[in-house]
Parts: sequence; C-alpha cells; structure tokens
Amino acid sequence: MTLTTVELDNVDLKFPRSSGLLSSIKSIFGKKKEGFTALQNINLKVNSGEVIGVIGRNGSGKSTLLRVIAGIYPTDEGTCKVRGEISLLSGLGTGFSRHLSGRENAILYGSILGHSIQTMEDYMPEIIDFSELGEFIDQPLRTYSAGMKARLGLAVASAIKPEVLLVDEVLGVGDPNFREKSMDRILSMVDDAGTVVIVSHSFALMKKICSRMVLIDKGKIIEEGDCDSVISAYYDLYPKKA
Amino acid sequence: MVGESEAVPPLRTVGSQSKSLFSIFHQIRQLNTNRDLLGQLTKREIAARYRQSALGLSWSIIEPILLAMTYYFLFSMLRGNTDQMYAVWILLGVLIWGCFAKTLMGVVVSLSANSTTIQAVYFPRVIHPCVKMLSNIRITVLSCSVIVPIMIIGDLPFTIHLIWVFVAIIMAGLLGFGFGLIFAPLNCSNRDMEHLFRFVTRAGFFLSPVMWTIDMALEKGWGELTLFNPMAVPLTLVRDGVSGTAPSIELAWIGYSFAFLLVSWIIGAYVFERNQAEAVKYL
Repeated sequence: MTLTTVELDNVDLKFPRSSGLLSSIKSIFGKKKEGFTALQNINLKVNSGEVIGVIGRNGSGKSTLLRVIAGIYPTDEGTCKVRGEISLLSGLGTGFSRHLSGRENAILYGSILGHSIQTMEDYMPEIIDFSELGEFIDQPLRTYSAGMKARLGLAVASAIKPEVLLVDEVLGVGDPNFREKSMDRILSMVDDAGTVVIVSHSFALMKKICSRMVLIDKGKIIEEGDCDSVISAYYDLYPKKA
Repeated sequence: MVGESEAVPPLRTVGSQSKSLFSIFHQIRQLNTNRDLLGQLTKREIAARYRQSALGLSWSIIEPILLAMTYYFLFSMLRGNTDQMYAVWILLGVLIWGCFAKTLMGVVVSLSANSTTIQAVYFPRVIHPCVKMLSNIRITVLSCSVIVPIMIIGDLPFTIHLIWVFVAIIMAGLLGFGFGLIFAPLNCSNRDMEHLFRFVTRAGFFLSPVMWTIDMALEKGWGELTLFNPMAVPLTLVRDGVSGTAPSIELAWIGYSFAFLLVSWIIGAYVFERNQAEAVKYL
C-alpha cells in the first residue's frame, strides 16, 4: 500500500528582514507578515518508500523546504503534513553539543525524538559500527573532524529509523568509502518503507539513489520528475560554463 | 518505520502553534510528555555551567559559603551590626534573588542562545526556557544547603517552616520563567531585550529586599509599598523559614505574589506559544 508521508499544499514562507525594535515587534506580534519570500506556492507529495532529491542553486530555498517539513519553520500560507517521526540531518551535527561525547550526543538526540536512554544504548553498537568511531565515541564532539561528525550524524539519524529522513548537504562530506556506506544505508531505509528527502549538489550521487527529483529556483518548484529530466532542466536554467 | 504489521500513524500538520489564551495548559502537557528530555537537558545545562572546573558542582556550595563569610566580615565585624544573623539574611536574599535573576535572563535569551539546536531539530521550544528554570532551581536548592551548618552554629530550630525555603526557591524560579517567556520571542529579533533585562535584574537587586529586609522598610514607613514587588514575598519567606517562624507577611500579600506569578506565566505562555515559531525565523 502506498502511503503519502509528506504533503505540502500551497506553502508560502516569508523571512522577515532585520530591522529596528518597533518593526520587529510588529513583525513578530503583528498579523501581516512582511519580508522576502523564501518559498512560494509549494505543492509536493512524497510517498513511503521514495527517495526524493531536491536540487537548486545556493539560496534557492532547498534547506528552508527541509526545515518546513521538519516543523522548524511555520508556513505563512498553506499546510505541511507529515506522517510519523521526522529526523533532519543538517550540515554536520544535527544540533549536537560540542562539549558532550559522541555517545551522550546520540542519547540526547534519541531523547529529542522520544526514544528512551535504554533504547539508544541498545542502538549504540550499531551506531559505533556504522560511524567507525571506535573509542572516539566517548570523546567530546569538539575533538571530531568534519567527517567524523557527519558519520555520527548519519549513524544516529538512520539507527533510530524515522519514517521521514531529511538529509541536507551531508552526503558530499567524507571519504568515498563513507559516501558508499551512506548510500547503502539510505537505500536500506527505503527498503523498509521509509521516506528520504535529500538536498545535495552532488547530482551523480543523487541520480544513483533518488527515485524522483525536484528543482527549486527562487523559492518555487519549477520542475519535478525523473532524475534525468530535472537535472537537464537545471542545466537549461544554469548552463555549464565552457 | 511504517511497516504493514504496525499501526500507521496519521498525517499531522507540522509547524502549527497554539494560539489559545490558555497556552499554559498546552505547555504543561508538552513539558510532561517530554519530561525525560527535560531531565537530560537540565543535566547537560548544569554540567555545561561547571565545565572544565576541577571542583565542578561543588562551586554551588563553596560560593555561598565564601559569600556568607564575606557578608559576616562586612556587616558584623566592620559595620558592627548587632544582629549576628544579618549576614545570613543577606546571603539568603542573594541566593533567592540569584535564582530569579538568572532564570529571568536565561529565559529571555533561551531561544536566541540555542539557535543552532533550534534550526537543526524540532522539539517543543518551551523546553529551552524550562531547562534554564529547572537548572537554576536545582543549583539554588544545593546552594541553600549551606544554611544547615549555619543553623546549627546559630542555634536556630529545625521546624516545619523550613518548607518555606523550598516554596521561596520555586516561586523565584517560576516568577523568572513566566516573566521571561513574554520577552524571549522578541529577543530573537532584537537583542535590546537582553541589555534591558541585565539592567532590570541589577536594579531589582537593590530595589528588592535583598540587601535589606521588609522589617527595615516598615520602620522607614514604606514597607507596604515594597510588597507590591512580587519578589518581596519569596525573599521574606526564605528568611522566615530559616528562623523557624510562620510567614511574617500577611496572607493577602502572599496571595498577591502567587497571583502575580500565575498571571505572568499565563501571559508568558500565551505570548511565547503564539510568537515563538515566527521568532525562530530571525535566528
């Protein structure tokens, strides 16, 4: 049975412009929202078992879209509905604390998503194995390299098996071996009927794992479909330099 | 995962916010549902405060002991105050005011100071200010344990009225929490709030009965006026509790302070829940 796990319906999102005290009071407490439009009239449905790739230039609204799905930003117009648990893997660390160890961070992240300490301890061997952190799992996060943080982030986010995994610019980090492992992990999640939405500039990687792609430009979805046609639309919009 | 054998969770709207006038109940439900997370984050907050310190949490006890010695030297030995317990009353005032002021400042900056976490993962945002309140309450309770040896030395009786010490700490924490919630969203867009409340907490230190007592104000003839300050009640209750007497303030003023606490929390919860999501866009 195909289930819709993410549904965005006519979503608009505006970011306020930085301003003085009075205008920020008006912007926060007032009804009429003013500012620049980050997302405009977004309609998107993602089903269980799908891996959707979101592409676009820097500042086009890709990461903002993931944050709307994750519930971080409220929509100004329209609705965003999600089925089940959401996990956003953004940048290098998922909001991890620099001063806590990798293990403590993993437990804390699990708690944020409603998992008990015991459940997270049960997941720990799998997390340590996938992240290849070994004894570093008990070292503070501030001692980790960018690749180690990325490995830990993906290991934790995928171990807890959320219904919806949102991945923002993480897959390009790390060595080729880690990229292969990440790809396999994401595909295994999809096999278990999870939903994955990926933002990346690595089109080759996205083509390998995505079942569908979306092109965003200036906050609007301008192309949606199979990977080749969407990538081709991207290059029509932004031709490769000779 | 959505498996065939498992119950399928329903589609739910994300990013919605409570606009009810009684958002306080919504907040209490959220805090109750996330109590494990609240406990862990409070532990993390306390650990972070004493990070890279050899004595760690012991500082929460060492600091009031050193303060008590300083006040004793200053007020009893240098100024020759005849009330031998005066230094203790000042110490208790400083601890209770510290709980209020640190909670208030912590709550006002709770969203702006946690911008990295807020932008990376969603969980009820009232948890951030609540963690500030709970960590300050816990540290103040620990700090107040120095009154046990002081009471033994000062030959003060251990009575049921010691309960007022805990009531005062919780009142101070909740007053800072409720009042701070009103301004936390605004501090995301405009950091003037931070500077304003730094002044408010410093000025309040001298305008509240921290370095003086209600009795001293009553002698001067403006004691009633000082009781309009909602912090006057917890600052007096803590001293009554340690002296082993029933509350020296009229019940009506205690009721006033509790009502102030409740109303500021109701308003704070409403303003916070209605505006926190929009405020996050400024982070």
